Amino acid sequence: MKIRSLEDLEEIAHRGIQKIKGEKIRIAVGLGTCGIATGADYVYTYFENAIKDLTERVFLTKVGCFGYCSEEPLVKVTIPGKPLTILSKVNPEETEEILRAVLSGEIPDKKALCKIEEWNHITEYMVYGKGLANIPSYSDLPFFRGQLKLVLRNAGLINPEDLEEYIAIGGYKSLHKALNMKPEEVIEEVKRAGLRGRGGAGFPTGLKWEITAKNESDEKYVICNADEGDPGAYMNRNELESDPHAVIEGMIIGGYAIGAKEGIIYIRAEYPLAIKRIETAIKQAREYGLLGENIFGSNFSFDIKIVKGAGAFVCGEETAMIASIEGKTGRPRPRPPFPAEKGLWGKPTSINNVETWCNIPIILAMGGERFSKVGKENNAGTKVFSLVGEVKRIGLVEVPLGTKLKTIVHDIGGGSPSGLKVKAVQIGGPSGGCIPEEGFDTPIDYESLRDLGTIMGSGGMVVMSEKTSMVETALFFIGFTSEESCGKCTPCREGLKQMLHILHKILSRRGSEEDLKLLEELSMTIQTTSLCGLGKTAPNPVLTTLRYFREEYEGLINDGKD
Amino acid sequence: MVKIKINDQNLYAREGENILKLALKEGIDIPHLCYHEIFEEPYGACRLCIVEVIKDDERFITTSCTLQAQNGLEILTQSPEVVKHRKILLELYLAQAPNAENIKKLAEKYGIEKSRFPKRAFVTDHLNGKCILCGLCIRVCGEVMKAGVINYIGRGPSTKINTPFFEENPDCLGCLACVNICPTEAVSAEEVENRKILKSWSETKVKMKECKNCGSLFTTYPLWEKTKSLLMEMDTELEELCPNCKRELLIKKLTKNLPLPKPY
Repeated sequence: MKIRSLEDLEEIAHRGIQKIKGEKIRIAVGLGTCGIATGADYVYTYFENAIKDLTERVFLTKVGCFGYCSEEPLVKVTIPGKPLTILSKVNPEETEEILRAVLSGEIPDKKALCKIEEWNHITEYMVYGKGLANIPSYSDLPFFRGQLKLVLRNAGLINPEDLEEYIAIGGYKSLHKALNMKPEEVIEEVKRAGLRGRGGAGFPTGLKWEITAKNESDEKYVICNADEGDPGAYMNRNELESDPHAVIEGMIIGGYAIGAKEGIIYIRAEYPLAIKRIETAIKQAREYGLLGENIFGSNFSFDIKIVKGAGAFVCGEETAMIASIEGKTGRPRPRPPFPAEKGLWGKPTSINNVETWCNIPIILAMGGERFSKVGKENNAGTKVFSLVGEVKRIGLVEVPLGTKLKTIVHDIGGGSPSGLKVKAVQIGGPSGGCIPEEGFDTPIDYESLRDLGTIMGSGGMVVMSEKTSMVETALFFIGFTSEESCGKCTPCREGLKQMLHILHKILSRRGSEEDLKLLEELSMTIQTTSLCGLGKTAPNPVLTTLRYFREEYEGLINDGKD
Repeated sequence: MVKIKINDQNLYAREGENILKLALKEGIDIPHLCYHEIFEEPYGACRLCIVEVIKDDERFITTSCTLQAQNGLEILTQSPEVVKHRKILLELYLAQAPNAENIKKLAEKYGIEKSRFPKRAFVTDHLNGKCILCGLCIRVCGEVMKAGVINYIGRGPSTKINTPFFEENPDCLGCLACVNICPTEAVSAEEVENRKILKSWSETKVKMKECKNCGSLFTTYPLWEKTKSLLMEMDTELEELCPNCKRELLIKKLTKNLPLPKPY
């Protein structure tokens, strides 16, 4: 059926609700890449076999990732009238026991991680039920306590391969709302929200849209940058795998606002599940008339296609990405002209990160004014981080901007699992830097991080303990960027190579004070003179470790003197 | 027209005019390697043409080839900051292309005798240890000559320029635009018997065209074919002649009914 009105949407929502909290027991297995990696697909198959004769009473489904990676595989059980319960570290062998318990209306306590009595999907409020007194509440868990799930509001709770479930939690209502506004009003709303680009640089999204909208052209494009490639970062992967329709809805709204008829999702080929889910979601959206001609019966038509990346990190840079989509080698070109002026096929183009797009339906649902109150001044909203490394609780963490680093590392993450002292956090991937423990009091916002010599980046957060060598860490990242440099401009191509030489020399205790001086000078030149963002930010891991952990470099040099 | 200032010099420029082009025209020396006036779009790869822009209280470094003239624009081409970075870039170039004479000269001009970086090691190099990967040869071959014989291979520090699969490329016109545009004289070609051999480009061989009249090898065969098709209406009699014979025949034709000028 084609959805033409709010009534149509509500009819489908009704069907979706029956799946989420109907009369049957719902067993939802978290099947994101992270879940699958820990065997969730086996858990799903075991459940599937076990419920063969029970389909009248039990509804088995797939959901995305709930973000608590170190507790995977996660299974969410909803017994009608009772809270949704999250079971953790579920083994395939345990599925029968779990099934027996839930069929008799009970939850196996020892597997239960927490319960959710009600949930704010922002676009909809879901009440599951009360009870199960001996299971802790979601908000009592240290991992979740400091979090605020806006972008990840649906992740792990709805089936990402089922449009009806997305509509059940208020999906595509924001699109309906937007289509009943003027494009300028939509842009105004996004501007009022104060949303800044979640790809890392933090350019105001509303302003980007406004510039793109004002540039007159017969054709315009919106692009979703899903070429996430920072080591240790997987926020976008989860957003696409767990809630693909949120990205699509955001893109349709963006297309309407700037006057584009076509959207492109540029996604890295290394994310096969995300590609599959987004393909399914696009297909479903077309079937229901949410993509294609005359969306919601309006004059607005819009469609999305997928372009797969070929494995080059630099294609996350917008001009290189455009070149790649056009079938050329992924090499950046000088800006200006910016893509908002001359982008894909020379037409005005707005490129936004996955997470930025995810925020759009929320802004429309909450209203820009209310959204701007989340987080801190000039840094509205939340940010998803992938908290990994030497930390007890690993996973995707979404916090309001302005949250202190120590809250994430110590309160949410629980500090180092080995009892060693946490030494630093590497934030922002290879473009970011290492923040020492002294800096953990810093609120996470675009400006504070820049002052520390790093960047927000897309959200990778690697925690390191005192046993980690910071010089080796710097070497790892320079090795990464050097290999991923496109090779077009000299400072990046030749400079990073020489930085690698010097770092190797220092690490093999053959370095001198002159080498350290040269390393610093070279870093500054690469930062100042490189053509694109990759080169400009590539020396950050070295510059920050030199700034905060200089004694480690000097130690290695002095060692060599003996 | 807008007013701009380069170093101490006040200049008038068209709004949006390319600053590097303007500066060179005015005789202001800004070193550059990947810029060439035949290309409209700046490429921004060599980064040597950096200048310091002074804007209110802010100062920043950018490449002049990508900088456009705006009213009140003020730049410095040799400020300490610019020179500092340019020197590091030159040291990188010296290490990358140790045999390039003009890089050595340029470095000397900036007081660099020796690069602090280790030289690139190679046993044989099809570009003679002179290539700095500026991309001018690729662009002239692809964008101007529309031949697309060579391109970048690989990425990052292992980037090379050559023909696909390092094999002879039959698309080569033998025009030698690549040889002529190369800022470091890295591309080499020679003429052996009736062929041009592009030594740098996987020994690609291009047959020469003989003048029908005098037998001299006046151009390459593909180039002759290309220009022939471009000049369809040309007198077919002239087609297969070298420029000298062509000139003579033309004079003859044009002066058929006229007395030839008396020699002095």
